[in-house]
Amino acid sequence: MGLVEKGKVPKPLTWLLNYSRKYSLWMFQWGLACCAIEMGAALASPRYDMMRLGVIPFPASPRQADLLVVSGTVTDKMAPAVKRLYDQMPDPKYVISMGSCANCGGPYWDSYSVTKGIDQILPVDVYVPGCPPRPEALIEGIVLLQQRIQNEDLAERWRGEPIVVGG
Amino acid sequence: MTDAGDSREAEAQAEAGDSREAEAKAETELPPGAGSPEGDEIPIVEPEPDPEPEPLPEEAAKLLAQLEKELKDSIIESGHTFGDLVVRVAPEAWRKAAEVARDKLECDYLSFVSGIDWMPAPKVGGDDAGGDTSSPVQPTEITFGIAGSDGRFQVFARVQSTARHHGFTLKVDVDEDTFSVPSWVPVYPGADWHERETWEMFGIGFDGHPGMRHLYLPFEFEGHPLRKDYPLLSREIKPWPGLVDVEPMPGEEASEEGGGE
Amino acid sequence: MTVDFRSGLPDNAGAMLQKHLADARINVELETEGMVLNIGPQHPATHGTLRVVVKLDGERVVSADPVIGYMHRGYEKLTEFRTYPQITTLINRIDWLSSFANEVPFIHAAERLMGVQAPPRAEYIRTILTELSRISTFLLFLGEMGLQVGAITPAFYGFRDREHVLNLIEAATGGRFHPNFNRIGGLKVDLPSGWIDDCRRVMKKVFDSVDEFEELVVGNEIFEVRTRGVGVIPPGVGAAYGVSGSNIRASGVDWDLRRDGQPYLVYRDLDWKVWTHPDGDSFARYWVRMQETRESARMVVQLLDGLPAGPVMAKVPRIIKVPEGEVWVNTENPLGEMGYYLFSKGATGPFRCKIRSASFSNVSILPWLLKGVYVPDIITILASLYFILGDIDR
Repeated sequence: MGLVEKGKVPKPLTWLLNYSRKYSLWMFQWGLACCAIEMGAALASPRYDMMRLGVIPFPASPRQADLLVVSGTVTDKMAPAVKRLYDQMPDPKYVISMGSCANCGGPYWDSYSVTKGIDQILPVDVYVPGCPPRPEALIEGIVLLQQRIQNEDLAERWRGEPIVVGG
Repeated sequence: MTDAGDSREAEAQAEAGDSREAEAKAETELPPGAGSPEGDEIPIVEPEPDPEPEPLPEEAAKLLAQLEKELKDSIIESGHTFGDLVVRVAPEAWRKAAEVARDKLECDYLSFVSGIDWMPAPKVGGDDAGGDTSSPVQPTEITFGIAGSDGRFQVFARVQSTARHHGFTLKVDVDEDTFSVPSWVPVYPGADWHERETWEMFGIGFDGHPGMRHLYLPFEFEGHPLRKDYPLLSREIKPWPGLVDVEPMPGEEASEEGGGE
Repeated sequence: MTVDFRSGLPDNAGAMLQKHLADARINVELETEGMVLNIGPQHPATHGTLRVVVKLDGERVVSADPVIGYMHRGYEKLTEFRTYPQITTLINRIDWLSSFANEVPFIHAAERLMGVQAPPRAEYIRTILTELSRISTFLLFLGEMGLQVGAITPAFYGFRDREHVLNLIEAATGGRFHPNFNRIGGLKVDLPSGWIDDCRRVMKKVFDSVDEFEELVVGNEIFEVRTRGVGVIPPGVGAAYGVSGSNIRASGVDWDLRRDGQPYLVYRDLDWKVWTHPDGDSFARYWVRMQETRESARMVVQLLDGLPAGPVMAKVPRIIKVPEGEVWVNTENPLGEMGYYLFSKGATGPFRCKIRSASFSNVSILPWLLKGVYVPDIITILASLYFILGDIDR
């Protein structure tokens, strides 16, 4: 959108765009390890229902997803796959790193085969600590992300590099 | 048990005692495979030959007797850990031992095949650094476990019987020159993955394995991680950052009552 | 290129036809070469990062090659650098659905080497928590296998019913899973007040929910058609590959380490039954696990009735040093036989700890098992074997 890049979008419209974006996140859940179970409990369990926040899981492909939640230990063998999938997501995309393994390597910080944190490969927006974080903690992380999206300056995001949907 | 059982047990005792003494004599020299950063400075602790070798429990003795009947001289040494039989066989008889276990002792179930590196790990962070104070400090002398060892590397495996509910552990020394042992895949097909893992982690080859390739690690991984001289680089660079002094140093609170971590 | 025969063939028709025929011949030749299908390493369901590379001939599998290691965290190396209490926090992440059950064999191994015996109350509570973790993981299995076969509702029921059991575990230990509750010599603290009544209530709910699963899933004809006769494991082959747990019991082998192996915890004092099924197919595995969930609930009720009073922690030194020796302890975990071969040299941490995990051997049978099955049956077989990636890759 030419208007967005130049920063000419009026404030009410920006607010509306952000509001609608934050409540329609399509989440690509990258469930790797134990945190995946908590993420599943947050999504599929009727107790910690995350879909009431507008976040729905299981996009048909990464090309349709907005949010990547990396939950669980990322190993060096798995890391290229994560990067490839992240590259396939279209902008604007957000990454939540869930659990201490994805944040910093976690209990396996000295292992020879673990990537010490997903932020070595991807830019992370929200870190959710815990081992594993309770489903409520993940929901808090999503709420924080939503607040961030609400206050986002679209022009900042779109200015600069062209949108690359490929790879 | 009648006389037959007693005589078998006595036989087993004599066998175990003899082999252990021979083992003690052989252990006076440094095993050739025990290379380490310190060179040949690692003292080998000679196990004192037992004046009266501990008798094997009844079930273990029965298994041992059956094994000895089939394998005869290939059994180098045997022992037990809390009632569980541990037998060390010669490398040439490794596959035959598996066949005997499967056919004669009805051990149809393969639990695992793995390796062990008996060399003590070099101190984390090198000698001049303060070292990683959070890692446990292992003794620097080489000692071998039950049923002894001839070298640095051993392969050990466990087989069990689903019908008879018994099981035992088999150990074998890895030949220093060829650095491989015969493969168990023709006997127990499940050994395929276990042997791939052992090769990956230790570098031990398996003769007769159909297609040895990486199991866990990416194909470009260099090195064999479970060897003791493979360092964990994160610990070399920086000791464990969460070291909080909740435990008093040993000797300070020796009379502290138990309870807690 | 369309050929209009009414107007006569164009001039280059002959050449084009030859080219098409040549292409068709190549296609016929290529058809029998087979297609390589790559399943994974990312599954939408909670299987984890398993990658199965199958070569297909049409719809049938010619050969299957599971590629594992995407969750390899190097446990056996890490245990060599940690003290015993630190390892306890680490190993309950091997099988992350039934975490309490992973700690038990390791703690028993260390206690055996030290000569420490946990007090009876601690053993009873350990048994209760192990059975609770077995119930929680099997409830998830009962729901999730329905999901893999195509029924989405059981998955929600599985998660929902599991929450009750997780609440119990959390009330006792402080963590929904990964409790870190075992200590060498006993447990960290005693049970909170009112827990026993809560537990009895939840066990009643477990019976109801298993009945619900039986009606909903097992009674469904589509489920039966999809799972009966699919993925049959003959008992001899299964044992040679090391398949253990409910998988081998579903092939008719009457072998349960709680009853037949080394005595551990208090299973010998309880009155319970080992369930087997003669078929060995996916349906049998589902059925055996369902019965075992019920059996575990009955066991928990018996344990609650017989819970002795007393301390929960034996006297152990502040800094745990396990004397030199080696020991093998194996237990019946929900996934199968899990064992620790612990080598100790008298330090505060082990010299080498070989972790024998159940799913590693359960999945090693896949290259043999998947030969000749249809593609949708691959998913059914994977779901019925019930592996956890952390257990395979450690």
